[in-house]
Amino acid sequence: MMNALKICVFTVLVAAFYSYVSQMVPQKVTYPPEETELGADMTTEELVVAGEEIAGGKGTCLTCHTVSGDTGGRFPDLANIGLVAADRKEGFSDVEYLAESLYDPNEYIVEGFLPGMTPISDPPIDLNDEEILAVIAYLQSLGGVATVTLDTELRWQSEENSAAAAAASQAGAAAGPSAENLSGEELFAMYACGTCHSVTEPTPLLGPSLYNAGNDFSTAELYEAIMDPDAVVAEEFTAGLMSAQLNATGFYDKISSGQLKTLVDYLAMQKGGS
Amino acid sequence: MNILILLAACAGLLALRFVPKMNILGWLVGWWAATFVFLRWGINPPLPTSIQGMFLAILTLALLAYISANSVHFRFVLDRAVAFATEKKYTVALAVTLVLLPCLVALRVYFDITEGPAPPLSSRTIHPPPPVSIEVAGRMIDLVNDDNPYRALETEDPAAFAEHVANGRRVYYENCVYCHGDDMAGDGLFAHGYDPIPANFQDATTIAMLQEGYIFWRIAKGGPGLPSESTPWLSAMPAWENFLTEEEMWDVTLFLYDFTGHRPRAREDHGGGGDGH
Amino acid sequence: MKWLARRLPAGSLLFLMLAGMALVAFWAPDAWAQDAAGPVEYRSFPVVGSRVVVWVIAQLHLMFGAFVLAVPMFALTIEFIGFRNGDKRYDDLAHEFTRLLSVSFSFTASLGALLTFFLFILYPRLMEYLVSIFDWTFMLYACVFFLEAVFLYSYYYGWGKMPKWLHLLLGLGLNMVGIAIIFIADSWLTFMNSPNGIDAEGNLLSTWDAINNFTWMPINIHRLIANICFGGSIAAAYGAYKFLGAKTEEERAHYDWMGYMGNFIAIAALLPLPFAGYWLGREIYAFSQSLGIALMGGTFSWLFIIQAVLIGNLFLAANYYLWLSMERIHGAERYRKFTKWLLASITVCFIVWATPHSLVATVEEARAMGGSHHPILNVLGVMSAKNTAVNVLILTTYLSFLFYRRANKEATVSWAKTGNIVQFGILAAVVGVVIFLGVYGYFVEASVRIGLSIPQVGLVLFAMISITIIDVFMFRNARILGPIEWGKIPNRAQYALFFIAITFAWTMGLMGYVRSGIRQHWHVYGVMRDTSEHAFTPTLGYAANVVSVTVLIFFAFIAVVFFLSSLSGKKKIEAEGGASS
Repeated sequence: MMNALKICVFTVLVAAFYSYVSQMVPQKVTYPPEETELGADMTTEELVVAGEEIAGGKGTCLTCHTVSGDTGGRFPDLANIGLVAADRKEGFSDVEYLAESLYDPNEYIVEGFLPGMTPISDPPIDLNDEEILAVIAYLQSLGGVATVTLDTELRWQSEENSAAAAAASQAGAAAGPSAENLSGEELFAMYACGTCHSVTEPTPLLGPSLYNAGNDFSTAELYEAIMDPDAVVAEEFTAGLMSAQLNATGFYDKISSGQLKTLVDYLAMQKGGS
Repeated sequence: MNILILLAACAGLLALRFVPKMNILGWLVGWWAATFVFLRWGINPPLPTSIQGMFLAILTLALLAYISANSVHFRFVLDRAVAFATEKKYTVALAVTLVLLPCLVALRVYFDITEGPAPPLSSRTIHPPPPVSIEVAGRMIDLVNDDNPYRALETEDPAAFAEHVANGRRVYYENCVYCHGDDMAGDGLFAHGYDPIPANFQDATTIAMLQEGYIFWRIAKGGPGLPSESTPWLSAMPAWENFLTEEEMWDVTLFLYDFTGHRPRAREDHGGGGDGH
Repeated sequence: MKWLARRLPAGSLLFLMLAGMALVAFWAPDAWAQDAAGPVEYRSFPVVGSRVVVWVIAQLHLMFGAFVLAVPMFALTIEFIGFRNGDKRYDDLAHEFTRLLSVSFSFTASLGALLTFFLFILYPRLMEYLVSIFDWTFMLYACVFFLEAVFLYSYYYGWGKMPKWLHLLLGLGLNMVGIAIIFIADSWLTFMNSPNGIDAEGNLLSTWDAINNFTWMPINIHRLIANICFGGSIAAAYGAYKFLGAKTEEERAHYDWMGYMGNFIAIAALLPLPFAGYWLGREIYAFSQSLGIALMGGTFSWLFIIQAVLIGNLFLAANYYLWLSMERIHGAERYRKFTKWLLASITVCFIVWATPHSLVATVEEARAMGGSHHPILNVLGVMSAKNTAVNVLILTTYLSFLFYRRANKEATVSWAKTGNIVQFGILAAVVGVVIFLGVYGYFVEASVRIGLSIPQVGLVLFAMISITIIDVFMFRNARILGPIEWGKIPNRAQYALFFIAITFAWTMGLMGYVRSGIRQHWHVYGVMRDTSEHAFTPTLGYAANVVSVTVLIFFAFIAVVFFLSSLSGKKKIEAEGGASS
């Protein structure tokens, strides 16, 4: 009996020793690459789940919008959007209204808010039609009932549109490094800087106004503010917001050094509207 | 390698031979101490403490096996231990040991706790597994099956191949040399500002053991394209697909191998199974 | 008690099946409710999660399966040796090994049933897919399993009750069927690692191609050899367990011998195992560079450092046992002085093998080294160095065996001196060339370097075979200095045997994890993604804890097997005692 006990203790000790050794090596969890796959046969419920993921990730919707029920934010709160969407715009069903505000956001601005959202179907966010349907399903489910499926057809999604977008993005990618001939203003629009920064008004949006950037910042500070937004953050603004946004839209992967220079030069020229 | 320390450790062990009435315990302690000294101070640059600890643990295991693998030794050591614990003449030593041991542990805990903040120990995966295919300038490149498209020229058309290598040389000295260095040893002008430091292509464990598709992947996608297991440090390598054409990237790959004299890891024919994928 | 011993195997099987069903039925009621909603991809398991449940049960099933398949192989061999030289001892030993089988077989079957239940319940989508690929092999498997039961029980119960040749033939059939079982089961799991015989969408093209995928044969061979190691070590642990509890000198002598034989089998099979593993790794690399790098260079590179610790410990313990065993032989003192050199060689090889390629270092240390690679250790961290270390480790262990073999013998042939010199010359030359090839490997390209391992292995095999042949002739009619006093061995040698068995089991658990783990977030690599919440790869520490728990459960089961086997042994000894008095 004594022997059996000794053997038991010995076995436990040896196993514990190996467990201990294994704790000494680097501990790292590897997560599967995150991608929200939209299968053709997804049900509406699955679309809602996928849409929520997209809204929080690739779509970067939640950078500006809240889903908390608190009103008074800079962008409309979405907590009840599924309920109110149908009544927002005369002659538009809830799906149509949501689709329009994603594809063509500045067509209708909710009272009390300023235009500023970029078309979600275009770069930099660049969601495809299926992903936008998933987002619509998710938005419907907020306070309402999701009805869309991947077969739902919207008039904003058209063959030409998607084909043109594909061609444009390919052309952009192919010409990528050499497409240095865009003006600073075009780059500012292309990378959707205007969503958060105004160059025409001194009023701050989500980020500080760049109305007077040329006088407020040196060129080096502008470079730093773009490439490492969190290095210096003015007090009243949220740290991490801009870097998260730029990372999510792939800004750092896309911008070349030439473009960056053009953009900084453009910003340096903004001197109080002059 | 610090030869002086090595010699000192060896001399110390040799000196033990001439100690009269040297017993097995003395030898064990001597070997342990000599190895410790060598591992701690004898190697330059110093070994990380984690490795020193591992080596010493293995040595300890081996020394314990050595005393217990021989009943004479084993009994002797047991006798000494029992004597130490029971005999009168050791009482003082025993008391000192009993007091000192907890003190040492306490001291260790004290040092561990009062140590200033330090980044956590971590290792990064130098060569993470590549994706199956990547997209460069709108074109899908199959990293599993595609080879360097210009590699075949080496035998088919040496002149054209030399042109590609020359182009690669140009690309290297225009872009890569600042970090990877004049002789590709990863010691360019900027190298010392980075963590992780640039790869050393002369080393047998970098490009020499990888396929060209892998090199192409690293050049095209750079630091931003590294998977998460290569964190926590972020490689400063730019994603060259934004600055170079596909051909230039393949050419510079050719040049890396040409300059260092390494050969890319060859693709092996699949041994078993039916037809491949 | 006797009644219990006879009833328990069947009873435990029934109990386990019922317990498993009850668990599933009562713990996961929501899982059943989902059935109505449509096809379910995953169901959850409370507390530990479905992945860990399947993981642990699969590993337990595998360990018992390995044991049940391995024991007949060497039992048959030992029986055959006994049959040829007429030594009753060998026949008894083979019978005693077989006695461990019947209970273990029931455990294997119950665990297999449990595993099947859990797989079909918790991973229905995956299983549906696998069934669509392997449909008829499942039927075949069931038939073969049935045959295995028939052969196994007739082999065990027919001992001594039928002509020896017929019994040996039964044993051969048992082994054939056992090998068929493992080959079929391997085809399923290797398909998940290296799918073959399917089109781009994952639809079946050819079941045979799916079976004969890239890693099927390497895994088959690797597992066969590893099973023998594992079975031998468990059998040795049984010997050790009986030795420690032995009351009489005869018992001690008998179980000392049994432990020695089991260990001999385990270590002899361990020697070629690294080569089989190397072949497997190479095939994985050939199938997909991504999979290969994930295995060797990626997240799992640290797992192989843990493995190096395990294997280093195994070799150390095996040699340790041999050195202690030499104490029971008169004349072995002459070889005592070599122990320290053998030990030094093992320690150095162990250190080289366990040196990681990329190191864990603080920031200051890394700065001092100029990166995460140490300029000196870097050299030890790669395949060339490790292959060389393993080869030298194998040769060292072989030397220990050689010394054990000649411990009580003194050569009387006239050419003894020359023979010794030739043996030493072969050994020195082979070690020299193996190390030279290892160093040379740094200066050639990777594919050539991989090729260098073949001459290394060839040379090591050549050295072992040629030296053994010389030894056999040299020690013919040797003067015997003294008898082998079986039973005269310190208890710590028996603990070394336990240590070897536990380490083997742990290594199996760890390697089982990595084989399955390199698929990462795929069920079937590149074909079917794991979309469950358990798709991530856990930390090594977590995996190690699961392995430890599995190993402890396994040994708890094994304790039951040992206990029951010794019960049936008692009856026999009592009966014999009664007959002789």
